[in-house]
Amino acid sequence: MENSSFFHRNKAYILTLLGLSLVGFVFVKFMMVMDWEYLIKYTLHVITGGNLDGVLAPPTSNYQGMVNAAFGPNYEAIAPEIIRASNERQLYIWWVFVAEIAIFCVMYTISGRKEALITRPNDQVQVFSIFHRAVIWLNVIIIITLIITGFNITWSLRSEGGFIPFMLRGTHEVTGLLWFPIWLLMTIIAFKDIKLLSKNSLLRKIILPGKYKPMKRIIFIVFVLMGAGLLTSGFIIWYLHPDSHTHAQVIQFKRALLYVHFGSSVLIMFFLMDFVYSALVAVKGNLKGLITGKYPREHLEQLAPDVLADIENKKGKMA
Amino acid sequence: MNNNVDFSRMKFYCDENLCIDCNGCVVACKEAHEVPVGVNRRKVITLNEGVVGKEISLSMACMHCADAPCQQVCPTDCFYIRTDGIVLHDKDKCIGCGYCLFACPFGAPQFPKNGAFGTKGKMDKCTMCAGGPEETNSPEEFHKYGQNRISEGKVPMCASMCSTKALLVGDANEVALIKTYRAASKGKGITTDSYGW
Repeated sequence: MENSSFFHRNKAYILTLLGLSLVGFVFVKFMMVMDWEYLIKYTLHVITGGNLDGVLAPPTSNYQGMVNAAFGPNYEAIAPEIIRASNERQLYIWWVFVAEIAIFCVMYTISGRKEALITRPNDQVQVFSIFHRAVIWLNVIIIITLIITGFNITWSLRSEGGFIPFMLRGTHEVTGLLWFPIWLLMTIIAFKDIKLLSKNSLLRKIILPGKYKPMKRIIFIVFVLMGAGLLTSGFIIWYLHPDSHTHAQVIQFKRALLYVHFGSSVLIMFFLMDFVYSALVAVKGNLKGLITGKYPREHLEQLAPDVLADIENKKGKMA
Repeated sequence: MNNNVDFSRMKFYCDENLCIDCNGCVVACKEAHEVPVGVNRRKVITLNEGVVGKEISLSMACMHCADAPCQQVCPTDCFYIRTDGIVLHDKDKCIGCGYCLFACPFGAPQFPKNGAFGTKGKMDKCTMCAGGPEETNSPEEFHKYGQNRISEGKVPMCASMCSTKALLVGDANEVALIKTYRAASKGKGITTDSYGW
């Protein structure tokens, strides 16, 4: 009975929310120098009025008018946080990943690695089509490129700048644009829960087989939401190219979006590392299947019975 | 022996009561430094345009901050501040990330669209006509940063071309003295000479 309690059924969601809330609270309360009141009002101002310049109330003096027209208003609201975050990302973000790798090492020590007992290696089941594999591997290549080129910007104090980091920075922008269709396709094919909502035959054909376990569902939701945050903010930051005369009208918007970009990148990285660990390190034999598209039947029976059941179900319906 | 060296601290000051929005400073800067199309190291903004008696204009560029946010935020540490307070940067180090643009309160950093894959290129900004880290007055320095008039003992081009002497440049204490003198002499006729300040 205890296992069917609300807490046990929703343990992954509750713990993830608690963890994120705790980290978020500490970050917002003690580490950030953001003017939250302005940011909330500004966001509402943009949504309701479509005005990006950040001037929430008409200037009450010539000086204030000059500041608004020349520089954009409320410099102190978001910019100091960007300066702080940019400096500290260089110095401390490394430790976030060290901590996550340390957690994985502990998990590996405690739980070890799951491995299926294969007695009939030739009895293979096709799990991923060529389309699935193309989308998955393009995602992998693009995300690795974005991580390398993104950290090239963040950590260029170590590279000391120059031609190669400059080219990599340009590559980051272009690769980000390329990622949009691939992220969208990945979002569609990995939307396993849609099977509960839609009976569309085309969707059923391209959705990956199997059902989500809570933790994998969280990773999927983070991938979709943070991917959307990264792509939207990145695209607008790239597209808005203010000159000296239009600078004041858009700079506050660009600053807010840069922070969305920073925040989304940290969250998506954290959960992607979690995914890589749980899919490739914690379980043996997954990588080969991602290349060939086939898995031994026994591997699926022992480690992913939901995937096998889904495939058998589909075959049964076709027959 | 007193080891305290009192360095000058070079600053721009624009008197909004004298600026007439002629954009002479903008044109002079672009012409002198061969600044590419789409990049303006200096701009003039006008408030209350067309409202008689209330219209004021202001010429703006990099303010060469003592505690420059661009320098703090630059991930490649490409900025450096000279002993006279002029903030310069090294284009060979710059990766065009744009962090300085987000951090600058004045919108001084400018980015041409000549970077990798047609994206934004390396940052360009007002050098107060002091060039950059290349050899002084070399063709390389001119190509990357424009003229180095400070090394020749000249006033930056924008201020030297300002017809109303609204735009002043020099040691901050001297500029403050001029502003004080002008304020004290307000309403007493012409208070500045035709040449110099």
